[in-house]
Amino acid sequence: MNSWPFRSVLVANRGEIAVRILRTVQALGLEGVVVYHAADRHSPAVRMADKAIEITGKTPVAAYLDGEQIIAAAKSAGAGAIHPGYGFLSENTGFARAVAAAGLTFVGPTPEQIDLMGDKVRARAFVEAGGFPVAPSAIEDDDPATFVERARKVPLPLLIKPAAGGGGKGMRIVRDLNVLEAEIERARSEGQRYFGDGRLYVECYVENPRHIEVQVLGDAHGNVVHLFERECSVQRRFQKIVEETPSPALTPELRAKICETAAGIARKAGYRNAGTVEFIFGQRGEFYFLEMNTRLQVEHPVTEMITGKDLVHEQLRIAAGEQLGYTQADIKSTGHAIEYRIYAEDPARGYTPTTGPILKLRTPNNVRIDSGIVEGGEVTAAFDPMLAKVIVTGVDRDDAIANSDRALAEYVLLGCQTNTAFLRRLINHPAFIAGDVHTGFLDANPDIAAEPALTESTLHKLLAAAAISTRPMRDVADTVPSLHAAIGDWRN
Amino acid sequence: MHHAFKIDKNEYDLGLSRSEDGYRLHFGDATVPVNLHVEDDGTAVLTVNGRSERVVIATRGDDVFIHLGGAAYQLRYEHPLDRLAAQAQGGAEDNVRAPMPGSLVAAHVKAGDSVVRGQALLVIESMKMETTIAAPRDGIVQAVQFTAGQTFDRDALLISLQAATPEAAGE
Repeated sequence: MNSWPFRSVLVANRGEIAVRILRTVQALGLEGVVVYHAADRHSPAVRMADKAIEITGKTPVAAYLDGEQIIAAAKSAGAGAIHPGYGFLSENTGFARAVAAAGLTFVGPTPEQIDLMGDKVRARAFVEAGGFPVAPSAIEDDDPATFVERARKVPLPLLIKPAAGGGGKGMRIVRDLNVLEAEIERARSEGQRYFGDGRLYVECYVENPRHIEVQVLGDAHGNVVHLFERECSVQRRFQKIVEETPSPALTPELRAKICETAAGIARKAGYRNAGTVEFIFGQRGEFYFLEMNTRLQVEHPVTEMITGKDLVHEQLRIAAGEQLGYTQADIKSTGHAIEYRIYAEDPARGYTPTTGPILKLRTPNNVRIDSGIVEGGEVTAAFDPMLAKVIVTGVDRDDAIANSDRALAEYVLLGCQTNTAFLRRLINHPAFIAGDVHTGFLDANPDIAAEPALTESTLHKLLAAAAISTRPMRDVADTVPSLHAAIGDWRN
Repeated sequence: MHHAFKIDKNEYDLGLSRSEDGYRLHFGDATVPVNLHVEDDGTAVLTVNGRSERVVIATRGDDVFIHLGGAAYQLRYEHPLDRLAAQAQGGAEDNVRAPMPGSLVAAHVKAGDSVVRGQALLVIESMKMETTIAAPRDGIVQAVQFTAGQTFDRDALLISLQAATPEAAGE
């Protein structure tokens, strides 16, 4: 595209995704601007940007949530568009409206679309009304008087959820209708306690489900395509850690069906932007709409690797009012791609976050690394513990897994513990190799997170390397002549 | 001379001595020929029992970080004098440390307050969850190290306690 309606794009984000977006913005010949909190002053995004504007806040996170300040920064920098990345303000209707009101282009969907998909109950009703599959359910608010009666008709097992809930709190699984009413009362009191709201809904519980999502793209002219699926079933604490495409669970028929469903939902919404339709996928091949994310997704690179499409470029073109310019038949998938999220965390201690200096950072060759950290930097508790993403490809899944083991082994970060050794244990697990995973896989296999005992040979190597690297030990050894040391009793 | 490294909670006693062409590691009943050759680019070749492999090593203070065989490890050098001092003092629960990195939500006590074992001292937030930190024993709060909103790392000192004075205990 030769005539962009904006010459300069401000990235309202930080870390790896700010770098990722700037890379495309600059490659297109546009000016890349970034806002940053002082805690990120020496980050790669700030270094890379053509202009970087400091923002402030009560906490570092609060600065990145301050839409007013960010819009003012965009205006002062002469930016014509704002890309929100993911998280922070990316699905904030008020921000999207304020950006437009300031005469700037929001690189995202319309505020109405953010609103619709951000309200889980409305989104679900919208999808159901379009004839797309949602999990059988009973919503108390529809008619409180008949709630229990309607709940009884939902296929077992069923899941009771607080209407105002999130994060698994107050949810109860019911396998026997005799206890349904007692469980509803418990869930109600928990909902009241956690969220100050006792309203409930009940839905069919899919056992050992997979999380499969579909990437879609829609333009302002009504064109919608899908870019195939991503399998994101390996999760810990409800967060994805490994994502891949194609999904090992889908036959070509199921793939066509789930991808067409996603595209249909986006088409019905008149969706404009890159978006992701998430599904819960049962062991018998049944799938239900979960939610739609109206932004760029953390795991978007695997889709880029197999389709050759640059999703940030597509987002910018769509925001500029361009037509997609291609149809579904033009989208091809080649090979296999897997993304690993490198987290500063200790899997053996319940995946608790870790912090520390980045003393050494070496990354593997021949794989894509989307990273927001540099050697000499510091991992703090101020932000999300995701540091980088390692994206590995192969001609097929086995090839990609083999390449992954090498890449993860060669990813060196010293000074702050990360999950790379854990990820290697995960991808060498027979169930993962077989593609036989579900969202509860890590909970069901706690041995993967556990730190294996050190072998004697590893212990010798570690102690030797540490001893020779430690001045007081080396100095003592060096002052004693070797012959004397050899014949004397070192223990004194 | 006795030295020790800690890996996680485990402590390993060891010794190091010179040999003609390197060092010897003395560990348990074993004496193992070892050497470490650091290249200009910071990578190093570790030789143990005649077998060599590439490692990456970084040190900071008493911590040694080692990337070996595709995994990273952290070892902490235990100073001989500090170990003696620690043994002499015993393990008094004088310091309340952060179980995980996070930020302080609220402090329920201030310097000078007397607290009893189990009393809520602080509320911290980590991983979007709030956790209450309780007093490990009776005592007087000497200092609260953080104010609400501030972030800290794992093992950061949050509160130091001082034993209740005998007079106070007698009241």
